Amino acid sequence: MMKWFMMLTEAVEPVSEVVETAAAETNALVDLPLFTKGLLTTAMGLLGVFLVLTLFFVTIKLMQRIGAKKDEQ
Amino acid sequence: MDILAILKELFAGVISMVSVDGLKTLAMFIIAGVLIYLAIKKDYEPALLLPIGFGAILANLPDAVVLGEDGFLSVLFNAGIANELFPILIFIGVGAMIDFSPLLKDPSMIFFGAAAQFGIFATFLVSLVLIPIVLPATAGDESLILRLASAIGIIGAADGPTTLYVANHFNLKDYMAPISVAAYSYMSLVPVIQPPVIKALTTKKERMIRMNYNEERASKLALILFPIIVTAIAGIIVPMSAPLVGSLMFGNLIRECGVLERLSKTAQNELANLVTILLGITIGGTMVAENFLRLDTLLIMLLGLFAFVFDTAGGVLFAKLLNIFRKEKINPMVGAAGISAFPMSARVIQKLAKEEDPYNFILMQSISANVSGQLGSIVAGGMVITLVSMMLGGIW
Repeated sequence: MMKWFMMLTEAVEPVSEVVETAAAETNALVDLPLFTKGLLTTAMGLLGVFLVLTLFFVTIKLMQRIGAKKDEQ
Repeated sequence: MDILAILKELFAGVISMVSVDGLKTLAMFIIAGVLIYLAIKKDYEPALLLPIGFGAILANLPDAVVLGEDGFLSVLFNAGIANELFPILIFIGVGAMIDFSPLLKDPSMIFFGAAAQFGIFATFLVSLVLIPIVLPATAGDESLILRLASAIGIIGAADGPTTLYVANHFNLKDYMAPISVAAYSYMSLVPVIQPPVIKALTTKKERMIRMNYNEERASKLALILFPIIVTAIAGIIVPMSAPLVGSLMFGNLIRECGVLERLSKTAQNELANLVTILLGITIGGTMVAENFLRLDTLLIMLLGLFAFVFDTAGGVLFAKLLNIFRKEKINPMVGAAGISAFPMSARVIQKLAKEEDPYNFILMQSISANVSGQLGSIVAGGMVITLVSMMLGGIW
């Protein structure tokens, strides 16, 4: 039980590190010049929109494939 | 009591009309009149422009009691816009109206829904430069500049509820009136704004390109699974888009499930109509002279137009780019339907195609791009909220 608990606390440490790193990164973003923030938002935003819609595209393609296989059967 | 004082109090409204405030009121009445004229005479989005126009008249009456603490327009604002309820309800109705089958048959059209969001981000960047110059009061307030630029950029989503959602999220109540008026009036002006941009960027030959269309309907299972999967994907990747995507897809699931026909009809008609009335008059109620007759309004209107133009251009140019690599060419006009003004933009594209070739039918492809634009604009709204919040240290 004790061993399991130790393992659990060890596993928690990296998570807190990740949170700290994320916070530090957010602070770094806050300090950027205004237009750089704008450029970053634009680049990441467009990329995000394309990424999400690409996932929708893949989903539809998969559904089409499953539908076609069903029809064959 | 002095009879003059009684008369003065009794006719305070009339007296205020012959002051500077009275002139402002008169100017707002004229603006409201133009909106009502466009709605009735030109049939431009009458369901929205008429309530907005009338709401503006109500809000600018001297001693506007409708805007007091218990005034009905204030009550509606707090009940439906301040807490984002109206945009969400509208989206349930819109979702119930959308048929995703054309998109499910030709999913490649989905990328136009992403490309046509280019205008949002281009306008966001331009706004970042122009806001501190044109509105010196904002200089130094980086948070306000970023939030305002986001809301102005989102006007280009051609999607009123998303625009309201973003503006409200960033607590831009003072700018709500010009932002929502720009969003809704430009949406209604899609038939006027898009054709010249499209014609400027395409040749006659390109506009005559015909596209094949498979008449088969998408399977029922796919139509049911699509809204569920889309909600999950968008909600996981861009959590800020979840309320809008979720309500849109909930409406769509009601439509497609096949067992809730009554609810589907209610969402498409009664719900959508009722909320449209309330939303319109409430937005009109925000058009108070002191908030509206400002340089900000002019800037927001101009940048909103810029966003619409660049969204259209982004879609068309993306289609032209794809045509370089594709064997089966796409009519580049379809790209312009990637903005979210559904279904008006798709209709405009079909009309343009017919002008060039009476037998060219690209309505279904345009509808596919148009519904993708609906999804793309919501995702873009969620992305903008998330990213700008990060840039501001996660406060928003």
